[in-house]
Amino acid sequence: MASFFSFILAHQGDSADPELLHWIRERLDQIFGFGPWVIVGAMSFIIFCIPMSIIVVYLMQANRRSASKPKHESNSAEGQEQEQLP
Amino acid sequence: MNQSSEPIKKPIYYGWYVCAATLFIGFVMIGARNSFGVFVVPMSEEFGWNRTTISVAAALGVLVNGVTQPFFGQIFDRTGGRKMIITSLIVLGIGTILLSLTFHILFLAFMFGIVISIAQSGPAPSNTAALMSRWFKRRRATAISINSSALSVGGMIMVPFSMFLLEATSWRVAWVALGLIVLTAVPLALIFLRERPEDRGLYPDGDPPPPEGAIGVGRNRSGGPLEVETWKESFKTAPIWQMAGSYFVCGTTTFVMSVHFIPFAIEDRGVTGATAATIFGYMMFLNIFGALGAGFLSDKIGGTKNWLALAYSIRGIGYLVLLTLDSVLGLWIFATIAGFSWVATPVLTSSLTADVYGTKALGTISGITFMFHQFGGFGSVLLAGLLFDVTGSYTVPFAIVGALLLPAAISAFSIKERKYSSRYQTLVPMPAAGD
Repeated sequence: MASFFSFILAHQGDSADPELLHWIRERLDQIFGFGPWVIVGAMSFIIFCIPMSIIVVYLMQANRRSASKPKHESNSAEGQEQEQLP
Repeated sequence: MNQSSEPIKKPIYYGWYVCAATLFIGFVMIGARNSFGVFVVPMSEEFGWNRTTISVAAALGVLVNGVTQPFFGQIFDRTGGRKMIITSLIVLGIGTILLSLTFHILFLAFMFGIVISIAQSGPAPSNTAALMSRWFKRRRATAISINSSALSVGGMIMVPFSMFLLEATSWRVAWVALGLIVLTAVPLALIFLRERPEDRGLYPDGDPPPPEGAIGVGRNRSGGPLEVETWKESFKTAPIWQMAGSYFVCGTTTFVMSVHFIPFAIEDRGVTGATAATIFGYMMFLNIFGALGAGFLSDKIGGTKNWLALAYSIRGIGYLVLLTLDSVLGLWIFATIAGFSWVATPVLTSSLTADVYGTKALGTISGITFMFHQFGGFGSVLLAGLLFDVTGSYTVPFAIVGALLLPAAISAFSIKERKYSSRYQTLVPMPAAGD
């Protein structure tokens, strides 16, 4: 029964194996040698950059479109996007 | 009149924003799920649980998640998905935060095994792939592959993040932080998730509208002959069984390796645990390129079923190498070959399912085929364990599951894609479609 449950922790789509994770952490410590807070800060930055960059690109495009709108009012007929700022 | 000749930079198709939003949703969702393993040791130590006790919560989660998938797929098909995904994310985020209050194994089993696992069925890959299928047609496999690779990247970034967070703080703080990260996906989902391109006056892939008076214009334009309204209709046709059958084999061949590869490498091939883990990590890293490559090639060259058959075939060759090359080199070759095919098959299966059956019941159909995948996985792991106990080696179980890849490849290859896939229908003359 124990082996039946333990395999589930090891499946790639689910929780990672704790021993493997411990080994990975040791390797990362060896490679980077930073304290945990530095890595937490760096990874937090990477994680939050993802949604922020999506929003920034969207806003830049929306601004560009709204700036050129008076000149091209008939754009909608060509299947172009008719987006508003969220 | 027409602005086609004007030097205006074409805006990014809105579907790519939907794709980016689902990418981040998948990223945080799988990250929170995979990170559970990080918490096993500190929580077990604090409460005096053994590994089996805490694994029961995880096992319950896998089963609940698998069983609820088709039901969430049905909700997705009926409601459109946006509200379901956002609600699921909120429940998932709050549930993850509440794990910081764990005081008893039953609380953990209830929160992680039931509440969180049910919530994870909402933004599950089968549903986000169905959402991508509505927004993309020509670039459907590419969009799905980006989503799938986000799951691998999420695991690669979020799990080490959780490990270091745990080292810097405590497991309670780490659960709160993970929950808050999940909740950051909510505003992104609120802003960008739209159910279908028609909601924004668009056509799939950002294509221009079909010419006035073209045959089949409307919701069924360029639909395949097997396009269904309900999932039940799809199961009366051959392609779904061909895909589900091969997907079952996909589950057997990936689950069994996820569990038994490292013990096999150590015991049968005599490598150290560190080397075995490195080879396995390398194989998981190749997932990303396999998924992206499969999606891109399928869209660019066409013949999704051929790529699917090829993915099963090369995985079969990988198994053959693993069993016949009795050295460390054999492990590395297997990892390289199998790594590329690991996530390629779900991408291609999802894309082909949408191409054949349309998008109206896709959430449910994908949820059901995903269950076939899970059943195959569960069966193979148990069988491999049993045969190892009987024979004292992994050769027989690996040979059996590896041999299944041949019928899986044949099954995928025999799908009549040209006849049934919407990509090959020529009802509507769409100059920009490039079909």
